[in-house]
Amino acid sequence: MTHGAPGARWFVRERSVTSPVVIFDGIEKSYGQTVALRGVSFDVNGSEIFGLLGPNGAGKSTLIRILMDIIRADRGRVMVFGEPRRREHLDRLGYLPEERGLYTKLAVIDVMTYFGALKGLSRAEARRRSLAWLERVELPHVASWKVDRLSKGMSQKVQIASILLSDPEVCVLDEPTTGLDPVNVQLVQDLLLERRRNGRTTILSTHHMNQVEALCDRVALINQGQLMVYGGVDEVRRHYSLPEVRVHARGPLPQVAAVARVTEEGAGSWRLLLSNGTPPHEVLAALVASGATVDRFEPLLAPMEDIFVRVVREGRA
Amino acid sequence: MSRWQKIKTVATFEFLSAVKRPGYLIATFGMPLFMAAYGGVVAIPAYYAEKGSRAPTVFGVVDEADVLRLSGDLNAGSRSQIPEDMRQALEAAGQAQALDRAIASDNFVFRPLATADEARAALADRRLKGFFVIPKDYMQEGLLDSYSPDSFNVTGSDSREALADLLRQRLVERQVDPALSARILKPIQRTRRFAVTPTGEIRDGGSAASIVRFALPLIFMVLFLLSVLMTSGYLMQGTATEKENKVVDVLLASANPDQILAGKLLGLGGAGLLQIAVWLTMLMGTGLGIVPMLMSTRVDVPWLALSIAIPFFVVAFLFFGGLMLGTGSLGTNMREAQQLAMVWSLTAAVPLMMMAVLIREPNGTIAKVMTWIPFTAGPVVVLRASNDATLLAWWEIAGSLLVLLVATWIALRVGARLFRIGLLSAGARPSLMEIVRQARLSA
Repeated sequence: MTHGAPGARWFVRERSVTSPVVIFDGIEKSYGQTVALRGVSFDVNGSEIFGLLGPNGAGKSTLIRILMDIIRADRGRVMVFGEPRRREHLDRLGYLPEERGLYTKLAVIDVMTYFGALKGLSRAEARRRSLAWLERVELPHVASWKVDRLSKGMSQKVQIASILLSDPEVCVLDEPTTGLDPVNVQLVQDLLLERRRNGRTTILSTHHMNQVEALCDRVALINQGQLMVYGGVDEVRRHYSLPEVRVHARGPLPQVAAVARVTEEGAGSWRLLLSNGTPPHEVLAALVASGATVDRFEPLLAPMEDIFVRVVREGRA
Repeated sequence: MSRWQKIKTVATFEFLSAVKRPGYLIATFGMPLFMAAYGGVVAIPAYYAEKGSRAPTVFGVVDEADVLRLSGDLNAGSRSQIPEDMRQALEAAGQAQALDRAIASDNFVFRPLATADEARAALADRRLKGFFVIPKDYMQEGLLDSYSPDSFNVTGSDSREALADLLRQRLVERQVDPALSARILKPIQRTRRFAVTPTGEIRDGGSAASIVRFALPLIFMVLFLLSVLMTSGYLMQGTATEKENKVVDVLLASANPDQILAGKLLGLGGAGLLQIAVWLTMLMGTGLGIVPMLMSTRVDVPWLALSIAIPFFVVAFLFFGGLMLGTGSLGTNMREAQQLAMVWSLTAAVPLMMMAVLIREPNGTIAKVMTWIPFTAGPVVVLRASNDATLLAWWEIAGSLLVLLVATWIALRVGARLFRIGLLSAGARPSLMEIVRQARLSA
């Protein structure tokens, strides 16, 4: 399958280790004269946390809503679990939308039970799991509360628990940590990592690039309805990085070939810009061979934040 | 999870959410109590007014023409205000006396007075409610002078009617024997009614027998309209709440729009119907006497109409509900939603508005045409079956139900598409072009 729209300047080929559970194939969507998606194609593999990135209005939410069959694509197809997406698949998919809420006049447990039951659980099972999930998100005392009594953070965690309690095989979370304090952000991140350990797939749409680096296996970056970047997080970061390494060594650093520039950072730390095409391990071998005592050697990767900004700006230009 | 399980889940949730609301409980149980309290407040003064009206109302008569020949106070007797047909029905049910007690009747006493001056003095002292002078040339001119207090008086025409009866009676009694006199004064004392079936069989055709035939379609129409109006309110409110609470995407990511729509119709429709059932039960239980009346009367129960009333009610209810929910969901707020759905409420009321025509000609052209129109089929078929089942062909019932079923299926499909468009369009109401475009896309 070809990934990336014609004209996309940045293209990263993924290294798939597991079979895809979601395939977007040439998705196009317009709202009147406004084109939201232009032939977007990529896969999401099983048991991974997949970052769906892009600036506001890039088309992420449209793509997610097409996956969830809330709106229909003008062209293209969506494959889920190896077959064309059908309404029956919805019980195996979870979705936490960006614009979200709960029934404010009802009890928390009733709302959670309803959302669980809509995903195919019996009412009794949905209720049991709701109580268990409230424990998981450290809110067991709010079960009988009316939703409008919850704080914003509590409501956020109840919403996440409501979606996850049916244990969906693929779950799309759109900005799940917005408005949460750092402790609760960590709590949610732990839940996502646990899902991955349990073989579940999560599509994470977020603007928090530190979360992408910490959690995501692979990413797709959409800008102006086109797929601009797609692949493993490390691969993407390497692709956008300068050929630089950081070396922590004792004593002076010997000069070696294939290093174009050396910058001393102090406290035994140097930053080395490698000549084009030089693999970092060759530089390490050369340093050791020249008598250097290397304590630490690491390739320097560009932060996702910088890549995001660079891709979006170039897209606008 | 099967389609029906999703519908059941939505329906259960909507039903329980609706019936647990304080507003619903207050309306369901508070409304009859409020009506009872209101009735009590109105009834107490009415009771004393009625008690007062049973005391005789005395009118003076100055009989210069010597027509009445009164020797002292003459009680003209009670004049029942109950129509003959209704009286017969109530007598058959053994309820006439009860109604007589409940409904006010006049009780006039005519007091002979020698001169108009004497009468005027008595009226000025308010010892009389008024007085009449029958002039000497009454027999030639038919002229009567009526005097009343210079205050608001509502008994004038009734007292004149009572005096006219008395005059007629006295004039006739002079000329003919009592039996003929009685027949001239009241040519039809009672009517025995019979109904002849197409097979020539004679049945009781009295009002008591036919009261159910008349009442059933009327109850059907009123209940149907009430159900549609009540439920539409809940449906509009439910959809507006989901838009406000931003749970739309979560719902649509879990169930089809048509499953959500059907679940809402069943759940909220059930809540609306339960409310009406509670009201009806409380109304019947508080002594209208309908049940004892039916039990004690030889009524002709229209079994066919009764048996088809429920399926026609349910299907027609879903038909209107689908249209109302779909249309109403396009509104950006509750008020706009109700305005959009109003057209269907008015359409549902058409059979009730045309009740007089339909009862007069239950098998006329208008009724036959309305039998095949989904908007009117339910009430009209029940009315025709209730009136005379033999004039309603089986294929008309089956065909009408089929048309209604097909129309309901289309209404639910169209309603579901509008519902999806309405749910997804936050903010401004979508234009007609946008609705058509979206409807085509969601096909």
